[in-house]
Amino acid sequence: MSDAPEDEPPPRPDPPRPTFAPPDPGQPPAPRPYPPGHYAPQGGSHPYPPQGPYPPPRGPGPHPPQGAGPHPPGAYPPQTGGPHTPQAAYPPQNAEPHSPQGAFPSQGAGPHSPRGAFPSQGAGPQYPQGAYPAQGAGPYPSGAYPPQGAGQYPPQGGPRPYSPPGGPGPYPPQVGHPYPPASYSAPPRPIHFSEGTHRLHWATAPLRAFVVLVIYFVLLGLPLLFAAVTGDDTAQALTLFAITGAAALVTAAGAGLWGWRAVRFRVEGDDLVVVTGLVRARTRSIPLSRVQAIDLVRPLMTRVFGLTEVRVEVAGGERSEILLRYLGRNPAQQLRAELLARAAGLPGQTPEAPETPFWRLGFGTLLGSLLMRVPVIATFLLFLGSLMFLLVFAELAMLAVAVPALLAMIRTVVVPVVMYGGFTVALSPDGVRLRYGVLETRMQTVPPGRVQAVALVEPLAWRPLSLARLEVTVAGYAGERQALSSVLLPVAPRAVCVRLIGEIFPGTVLDAIPLVPPSPKSVAADRPEGAGTDDTVFVARRGFPSRRTDVIAHARAQSVRMTVNPLQRMLGVATVHIDAPPGPVRVKAAGRDLGEARAIVESVAQRALAARRTGGDTARWAR
Amino acid sequence: MNPIHDEPSPSSAPSQYEERAGYPAEQAFAPGDGRAWSRVSRRHTWSRGLSATLWCLLAGAGGALAGWKNGGATGAVIIVALAVVVLAFAWIVAELTHRSYGYAERDDDLVLTYGVFVKRLIVVPYGRMQFVDVTAGPLDRVFGIATVRLHTAAAATDASIPALPVAEATALRDRLARKGEERSMGL
Repeated sequence: MSDAPEDEPPPRPDPPRPTFAPPDPGQPPAPRPYPPGHYAPQGGSHPYPPQGPYPPPRGPGPHPPQGAGPHPPGAYPPQTGGPHTPQAAYPPQNAEPHSPQGAFPSQGAGPHSPRGAFPSQGAGPQYPQGAYPAQGAGPYPSGAYPPQGAGQYPPQGGPRPYSPPGGPGPYPPQVGHPYPPASYSAPPRPIHFSEGTHRLHWATAPLRAFVVLVIYFVLLGLPLLFAAVTGDDTAQALTLFAITGAAALVTAAGAGLWGWRAVRFRVEGDDLVVVTGLVRARTRSIPLSRVQAIDLVRPLMTRVFGLTEVRVEVAGGERSEILLRYLGRNPAQQLRAELLARAAGLPGQTPEAPETPFWRLGFGTLLGSLLMRVPVIATFLLFLGSLMFLLVFAELAMLAVAVPALLAMIRTVVVPVVMYGGFTVALSPDGVRLRYGVLETRMQTVPPGRVQAVALVEPLAWRPLSLARLEVTVAGYAGERQALSSVLLPVAPRAVCVRLIGEIFPGTVLDAIPLVPPSPKSVAADRPEGAGTDDTVFVARRGFPSRRTDVIAHARAQSVRMTVNPLQRMLGVATVHIDAPPGPVRVKAAGRDLGEARAIVESVAQRALAARRTGGDTARWAR
Repeated sequence: MNPIHDEPSPSSAPSQYEERAGYPAEQAFAPGDGRAWSRVSRRHTWSRGLSATLWCLLAGAGGALAGWKNGGATGAVIIVALAVVVLAFAWIVAELTHRSYGYAERDDDLVLTYGVFVKRLIVVPYGRMQFVDVTAGPLDRVFGIATVRLHTAAAATDASIPALPVAEATALRDRLARKGEERSMGL
């Protein structure tokens, strides 16, 4: 994937398209909209397999494609250019016997099978070790990603038996170096949250009290002291300060104690029960099967006491999450492990599921990629220009340009660096684990099947470097947390992003899904636009200058829409939307022919139905 | 649904595109499978039109008064004429909207189409419906109609069927709720 343009679908021929020539009269009148030759290099893989462009998903496949047998090697040469040649990158696809779905991994292989929904890295059939040898070579200057050498993350030995304990050793010893830094991997004390009622860490009280005192000092205390030092009536100011100070101290102590003692929580059966309040108790009970994600947050201030905030996200809107602030470091991790184990349908004492390191973001990459963006470069030039103008002509009015430009650069460069510094991604049977943050450390765990949709974003300036960003829609994150938590990979080589998509939607090889360009009748600004589908996901690519590839699993689609606005009606085209819960990812395929759009709608609806039927319930992913 | 198999004439490009589509373009907004759209009640037009009339009366009267005070008779006449034009337009749009609505209960999903300026077709699987509610505004109650609204986890799903007779609306809601419960899939 060294050159982004190379992995575009075959360029759209100029209309009139020879490829839409009338079908061969000798052929049976089977729906065969793409005459042989149009997508010839792809072998039997149709843009919309199995039969015809948008057939029902698991039809018997009467379509005698060109090449009915196993796919000839080089099934996807025009799609994947760059460092990993198709043969090397996707060997299992070529080796796979011809399934009814054609080139796509069959659903029977369990893309959504609850257990092993996140198969260990090495075990997945799609990505043999060394499938992406290009990380050190290729477009990056050698040494740009020193830690990501081939031997950095050794493969795990085979599929993991993620079974309830009782048997000897549920997890085989983890191969490779102990991944989490030493501070994270201290053996947790054996606290069992499933037994008895629990409280927050005692240090919550002084912390809350401290916050109240800070507020008092900022609002009242410091002005009073200032008045005592500079004003006329020192004694009166000091008396006032003493009285209000004492009141603030009492309030702070009360608030601290209340914040600490008022929250009790316990795990009761399959529910997490949180009781708030001392006089009037308010009880909230959350079924753990509804948990969408569990985040551990360590704000800078709580680092002194080693405190961690536990956020349990439940699908249900703006204020539906549960905040436990604060727990000790180890209890928080233990609680997360227990909640996840119970959510997965395992006994509560199951130790934390092992994880496989997947990707670590180097600081240089993060900073460099944030600087290498067209808006940032433009802002920087603006800033430099205004500064020079300011100095040369002593024109102070240029500050009105320089200061906002500087603020914008801080917002777009410094804030993300602080936020995403030390970003690591790890995979575990409990889902994708993210750790990041320089000042405020966040650890997110998104269980399998909770990711609704993914967007692969490639800004213009990143495309030559083959870098990309991954954004996700998780149903639990609403409002402000949506913005905070919607990034799955702030920046990574495109190949890593594609691989992670394959882990999130098991069995998906993004680049192997052929994208059909929109209708030539449509007014399209960017040529790589297109949409395609396989049995697991629907993919739509659009956007200029920043290209987005939106991916949604059929099993997660909420509804399918087709819209035709007046301009589109004149052109005879339509837009197809696949609706996901609110989030950064909006999957839509614009500029499709009317009939094709309707066919996409029906095909997606049927595939979604089939995917939901075979995929089963992901609420209990380990059962 | 099979594509049409007319002999595509080399001169007409659209038929080739239809060939590509797999669905004939003129049937893009058809319910499919030989079904017919269930239409909403005629009272939809009356309800919307009367609502528009009330607003136009209010705005027209207020505007005419203000125009009378400021610009004399000419201003008032212009504003009244404007209100009449808007009213006529609103009635036309109300009638077109009424005609554009159609829904069909299929085996696994509900299909809904509507839209005068932006035409829409929405497919909502029964298993995805979080809840279904029936609402009726004051004017709707006068006409004895109600709106059935389908909610999924996606806010973009804007599927509501207006102007069903109340009995039909509640029956539809109960039917949808039952089918949704049978096929419920969570998120």
